[in-house]
Amino acid sequence: MKRYFAVLLGILTAIGGFVDIGDLVTNAQVGARFGTSLAWVVLMGVIGICVFAEMSGRVAAVSGRATFDLVRERLGPRIGFLNLVGSMLVTLLTFIAEIGGVALALQLVSSVHHVLLVPFVAVAVWLVLWRAKFSSIENVLGLMGLALIGFAVALWQLGPDWGGLAAGLSPAEKPGAEGWATYAFFGVALFGAAMTPYEVFFFSSGGVEERWTAKDLGVMRANVLIGFPLGGVLSVAIAASAATLFLPAGVAVETLGQVGLPVAVGLGKIGLAIVVLGFFAATFGAACETGLSTGYSLAQYFGFPWGKFVRPREAAGFHLILLVVTVIAAGVLLTGVDPIMVTEVSVVFSAVALPLTYFPILVVANDPDYLGEHVNGRLANLLGVVYLLIITIASLAAIPLMVVTSMGQG
Amino acid sequence: MKCSQRPAVVAVRLVASLLVLLTGCGVVSEPDATAWDQHAVQALTDAASQVATARLALEAAGDGRTWPTYTTVLVAEAEEAAGTAEEDLARLQVPPERADAAPEVLDLLGRAVDLVAEARAHAVAGTYDDRALLDALDRLSDDLRQAAP
Amino acid sequence: MGSLAERNGYDVGLHLLDRQVLGADDRPVGKVDDVELLLDDGGALVPTALLLGLPALLPRFGPRLGSGLARLHRLVREAAADQDLPLVVDFDLVEEVASDVRLSEPSPRLLHRMAHERADDPRRCRVGDLLGLAVRCAALPRHSKVLDLRMVGSPNGSGEHRVAALLVGPGRPGALLGYDRRSEPGPAAVAAVIHWLHRHARVVELGEGVEIDNEAGEVRIRAGTSLAPLRG
Repeated sequence: MKRYFAVLLGILTAIGGFVDIGDLVTNAQVGARFGTSLAWVVLMGVIGICVFAEMSGRVAAVSGRATFDLVRERLGPRIGFLNLVGSMLVTLLTFIAEIGGVALALQLVSSVHHVLLVPFVAVAVWLVLWRAKFSSIENVLGLMGLALIGFAVALWQLGPDWGGLAAGLSPAEKPGAEGWATYAFFGVALFGAAMTPYEVFFFSSGGVEERWTAKDLGVMRANVLIGFPLGGVLSVAIAASAATLFLPAGVAVETLGQVGLPVAVGLGKIGLAIVVLGFFAATFGAACETGLSTGYSLAQYFGFPWGKFVRPREAAGFHLILLVVTVIAAGVLLTGVDPIMVTEVSVVFSAVALPLTYFPILVVANDPDYLGEHVNGRLANLLGVVYLLIITIASLAAIPLMVVTSMGQG
Repeated sequence: MKCSQRPAVVAVRLVASLLVLLTGCGVVSEPDATAWDQHAVQALTDAASQVATARLALEAAGDGRTWPTYTTVLVAEAEEAAGTAEEDLARLQVPPERADAAPEVLDLLGRAVDLVAEARAHAVAGTYDDRALLDALDRLSDDLRQAAP
Repeated sequence: MGSLAERNGYDVGLHLLDRQVLGADDRPVGKVDDVELLLDDGGALVPTALLLGLPALLPRFGPRLGSGLARLHRLVREAAADQDLPLVVDFDLVEEVASDVRLSEPSPRLLHRMAHERADDPRRCRVGDLLGLAVRCAALPRHSKVLDLRMVGSPNGSGEHRVAALLVGPGRPGALLGYDRRSEPGPAAVAAVIHWLHRHARVVELGEGVEIDNEAGEVRIRAGTSLAPLRG
């Protein structure tokens, strides 16, 4: 009984953990501008994150090695270091966006300007990272993040033209006013939001911290293969509810308040309150995950003790990094930069950074020295290579598309 | 040894020169009718979006579907964004070909800013059911969308 | 994980360098930042110690980036004058090499700073210095380098360890990504690309025809020395 409960808990937290500020904002923006015509990208991103997370989870469970161990072991210190710097910058950018997202969510209930809330949010995040137990962080915030199911209920209450939404699924249904370059840009952004690299760092490092073994592979797969796709369903629900309310009105989503508006219209105050709680939990949870991920990657590269299971005094370097990134993030947000803007940039750069960690994981997942009998099977390798191509294309296209469309405006 | 430049060095130089080119393009901006049109369409679309947002927010608040701070934050942000859209266009030098059209567009944008500001005042005061304001927002939103083809 | 232990012979760069080092108490000690080799009286290159810490890691970044970063490191840690020498873990302490390197003693007791005499000993060198050395050989493409060192001995066994052969070819050390072994299945597409990129790489046994010249920074292979293909 306890075991089933653990599996269920894992799946539920994976659903809540999948959605972060990047998914919230990008899906609402895309829904408002393109209806459901980009939903196929979410599907592609979800399959991608499943392939990617399953491989890294398997490596973590069988060999006890987390992502940045592999990066350095396979790519060598030099390329590994460049990789580390690139991935850390992207994760830091995401971290800044998540902290900004928490402040925005709090602004919606307090009407205090988000810049004033940033210092408090940063201190709270740092305290949680320093003091709280790893599993409780993940479980509490993951479960609270489930409140975002409100979007699916709101979509149903809004009573959309279901036939129209379904017919809009094809890329050919792109609204005529939007150019193909813009369509491609938002496609890449949505892909980056669904597949954010930190999710994999965090997932594999968490596996090592919780001392997974080959016996836990079943539970790990259930979390990944059920939890992430359901998280993807939430993403599509966000996009579809934005499409229902905003597409006919010609509203472009630029604030977190707008993201929640369809829920207000569909469900009223209580639904809205639940979803805003979901905003808070999802962004706060993701802030903890991204913050920890920066510490994990640096500690794994240099091999010093890391993690929440080691006492802070022994993992001094690790906790120092957490403090430094939190201070940097708060500093950046205090300049008054718009957190939504940071989010938009962060999802694009997530797409750029994907191959850096994906490729070493794919190679090691085939190495019997690490995995013994648990090396990739045919399906995993087929999907692995297909996704290596997709990720490379998305990564190379991301920055040119960003320049050509001036961040999707054109 | 001279001809064997490493690919990485070549790549860095390429990227650097590309960046110089791109920033160069950004700095040199003659008053050009097509560029101005693009900016005008962008500003009108943005303003239309903000007006529609304010309309949706007030309506939801009137039905008791949001709480006061949420409405205030939402409409205040719409006001700020509408203001930015207007300022960004007003700052551009109007090309001679658009000397007639420009005042009209800027006037429309100015009306949008004023109306969203009024909506914000209503949101703060908690008077959500001003039918005339809602209708005005509706009409202006349509006008803005028609002006931006 | 057993497959590595059972094999008689391993590649230093692939199987040992950059692995996580754990003490007997399961605490992380550091990474294998470099491996020290000793040219013994019989002329064999024998691994003597794992080197840990930034002073071992930074030189591996290459002459330019590496020395720049090392200078930066000295600047930051000026207080500790001996910090330009790495920490040493004797090779005898290595108990098991799998996806991590496990030592036979708990972590706090085993690290000691390398002595200056040891660092200056001309008979000692580091794997990091050998990897990437230019290779002069008529039968190989012009820009060939030392890609990896092949050892005899099981990494877990206490028996004889010595460098038996060099992997040489064009490219960069580490770029083989482990696709040089016979057993590697890989995603076929990735394996095929890597094999094609390294089609000129060869294995050469250390012996008469091979001369490692650390001073000149090159390895000379006499004409007529037998070169075996990677996956023989």
